[in-house]
Amino acid sequence: MIGSERWDVLERIGAYAAGELVGEEARETERLILENPEARRLAASYARMMALLGAIGQESPEPPETIANRAIRRAYVSAFFRQTESLFTDVGRAYVEAFVYYLGLRGDGEGRVQRAY
Amino acid sequence: MTAAGEHNLPGRAASGDVDAFARLVREHSALVYRVALRILGTEDAQDASQEVWIRVWRSIGNFRGESAFSTWLYKITVNTCLSARRKEQGMRMREFDGEFPQLPIQPGGEDDPEAAILDGERRDELVRALERVRAEHRAALVLRHMEGLSYAEVASILDVPDGTAKGWVSRGRAALLVALAEGAEIERNLDGEAS
Repeated sequence: MIGSERWDVLERIGAYAAGELVGEEARETERLILENPEARRLAASYARMMALLGAIGQESPEPPETIANRAIRRAYVSAFFRQTESLFTDVGRAYVEAFVYYLGLRGDGEGRVQRAY
Repeated sequence: MTAAGEHNLPGRAASGDVDAFARLVREHSALVYRVALRILGTEDAQDASQEVWIRVWRSIGNFRGESAFSTWLYKITVNTCLSARRKEQGMRMREFDGEFPQLPIQPGGEDDPEAAILDGERRDELVRALERVRAEHRAALVLRHMEGLSYAEVASILDVPDGTAKGWVSRGRAALLVALAEGAEIERNLDGEAS
């Protein structure tokens, strides 16, 4: 077997160990595992690795409190600035509108400017 | 709080409700940290988790509720971890010469695999070996075999077709076994030299 074929066998036995092969492909791989001691040892190694992955996957490492605390603090600060920005924008817009109204520069919708005086 | 309120935390957070966002952070902090830890290792997991929550707060308005919030969060977490590892190479193997890799049987491990598995030394070996797997393949492997997600979910999170997700998991699995076996071989040699 050349290198790429051996890699294919390596992946195929991994898929078999993970229970992902079906039909003819599964039967062929089973045959290979039964007939070839090297393939059998490989399948056993995969089974050990899969058990290891599964067991570690069951664990739930506790995240440090600082992660949540910092994220929430940043969100509060960011929300405060957003609200402040929005308030200043609204106040600024109101002033501009009042000024435009005061100068009588508001258009009548047909491109003409209505002047109050 | 009403049931509807409970279920619409992302919507409320999107409209600027920081209390809703705080609840999302508290409820999902473990998921983000766990995935970051498995993809990046202890050293970088905390910084990546912080970055994930910054991105979530910035872009929560883009969450349309078309998928579960956890799926969307997985996506942001994996993308953040992968961008932290973009320059990293990892093993790029599609060929294999020599004997197939073998993991040694741990003493007493065959009868009680769960007990043998969870000792710290073996966990550290796996973490070290995972670091040698190419980042995309590692992420796919973590999602599939540690988070227990379906291939459709893995594909959606990684934003690739199902076939690509399957290929990445398969290559990641093979590369992890090779890395684990090489680690075990090095340890055997070191033990041999020491004795």
